[in-house]
Amino acid sequence: MSYEKEMMAKISKGEPTADRLDIPLLKYLWDASPLSFLTKESYHDFFKKISVISSFSDNEVRLFTKFLHRREFMTNEMIFKQGDSGYGFYFIFSGSVNIYANHNAQTEEQGDFVIRLDKCQYFGEMGLLEEFNRRSATVVAAENTILLGIFKPDLERMLESYPVLGAKFLRETALIMANRMGQLTREIIILKKKMRELEQRI
Amino acid sequence: MNRNQKIKLYLFLFLLAAAVVFAVLFPRLTLPFGFAYIIYLMSRPFALRLTTGSRKQRLSYFALIMVSLTFLCFPLFATLNSVDTDFSGLSNQLPEVQKVLQDKFFALKVMVFEKYGIRINIDPVTYIMSKVESQGSILVSHFPDYLSSLFEWMLLVPMFLYFFFMESKNSSRSFLESVPNSIFEKSYVLFSQFNAKFGEYIIAKFIEATILGTLVTLGLLLVGFPYPFILGFVAGVTNILPYIGPVIGFVPALFVALLSKDPNVSMLSMFLIYAIANLIDMILVFPLLVSKIVNLHPIVVVVSIIIGSQLAGIVGMIVIIPFIAFFKLLFKEIYKDLSVHL
Repeated sequence: MSYEKEMMAKISKGEPTADRLDIPLLKYLWDASPLSFLTKESYHDFFKKISVISSFSDNEVRLFTKFLHRREFMTNEMIFKQGDSGYGFYFIFSGSVNIYANHNAQTEEQGDFVIRLDKCQYFGEMGLLEEFNRRSATVVAAENTILLGIFKPDLERMLESYPVLGAKFLRETALIMANRMGQLTREIIILKKKMRELEQRI
Repeated sequence: MNRNQKIKLYLFLFLLAAAVVFAVLFPRLTLPFGFAYIIYLMSRPFALRLTTGSRKQRLSYFALIMVSLTFLCFPLFATLNSVDTDFSGLSNQLPEVQKVLQDKFFALKVMVFEKYGIRINIDPVTYIMSKVESQGSILVSHFPDYLSSLFEWMLLVPMFLYFFFMESKNSSRSFLESVPNSIFEKSYVLFSQFNAKFGEYIIAKFIEATILGTLVTLGLLLVGFPYPFILGFVAGVTNILPYIGPVIGFVPALFVALLSKDPNVSMLSMFLIYAIANLIDMILVFPLLVSKIVNLHPIVVVVSIIIGSQLAGIVGMIVIIPFIAFFKLLFKEIYKDLSVHL
């Protein structure tokens, strides 16, 4: 029986119905529906593509998006500078960003290009976890970009109001850090090996 | 930063400055707004618990507003009768106080004349008492204004409070959206920290004042000291001011003890009660509740209170402390940034 018919039957029988409709939930389910005719990508679809959030249930994704801040950046606009205090973790909703190392604060030069991150990638997770974080690189919008950011106060609020969700998100962020650490260790081992080879050659 | 971003930043800063000017120019709106904001910050932790997962959010908020207002006004109304009795008692004693003070001052004048041959021609007692009387008559003549302000507050505070509970999330989100990207991250974190610090400070001071006021009232009641309710109330309220508050709160009791002819009124027991209550406050209540929130040097606190009183009277004296703590945080952040980038 459809929802409408069910409600009509309840009303005709004089049975009590739900006191009010949860419009935000309905709107969310409508947007999240795979049959949705909307061409615009919803936050739900977006986060389902992100490995960190993929383990979240639909309702957890819905709650998680409540804590996010949408920020729009123009081409070449600086998102943050190397050495800035860091408080947030960003997901690239649309567009792309360039990451530079060795930023020169005096000449305002961006520094050496490191990598380009595209849609569905993320950066800045250290800012969320460390107590006194300094950004280790400069990030600049490579084109018109929309970022979804979550910051320290949001994480605190999330842990207060939805502790399970907060813990799950923290676990996933810790996993990102662990993966990055593993990657770094592997790179250091390779570099050391190469250095040893160079030393032997000399 | 390109031209558009610069314009956006300057426009935002201009609007912020305009909001500050508006707040200063219209205190009749700003003060109840600020008061409602303080209650909102105090009750927000309970609101979070009460409404998380609740479908009847409006009802929960309405109930919370009623509980908050009752919780704040109950001690005032409950003790109003006793405070009123104590106050009328004190007012009736004024002529007696004047007489005692004049006698004591006359004795002092005689003593100075006999010992040093200096004749004192001034009469500060009459001057002070006439000042007290004139201030009292001003208070009475302005009573209708105070009453209308009270009714205004009774209407505005719950209205603003309801707005904060229902709309603060959306309105703060739209406000944050208008913050330029270049200052967003830092200002958002500082704004959140200020909110947390301010709310915690106000709630901690409120609890501290209630504990101290209750201790003083109970102690004075136990030893049979006159006007225990009003003296306890004054001790509690003045305790909100750090360092100088306890001294100000002690002065009325000292006057009562000096002027009382009742043999049961013991200066020593009154002094002990105030000392014990303040010791409990200093050793137990303050370190547990307040010191972790506001980590400021005592001199900074005293100077801040003086500046606060000059800027906005008693309200300024109370709210200046979390503001100074916030500015300390702000300057630390700016300094840290400058030391990295220079």
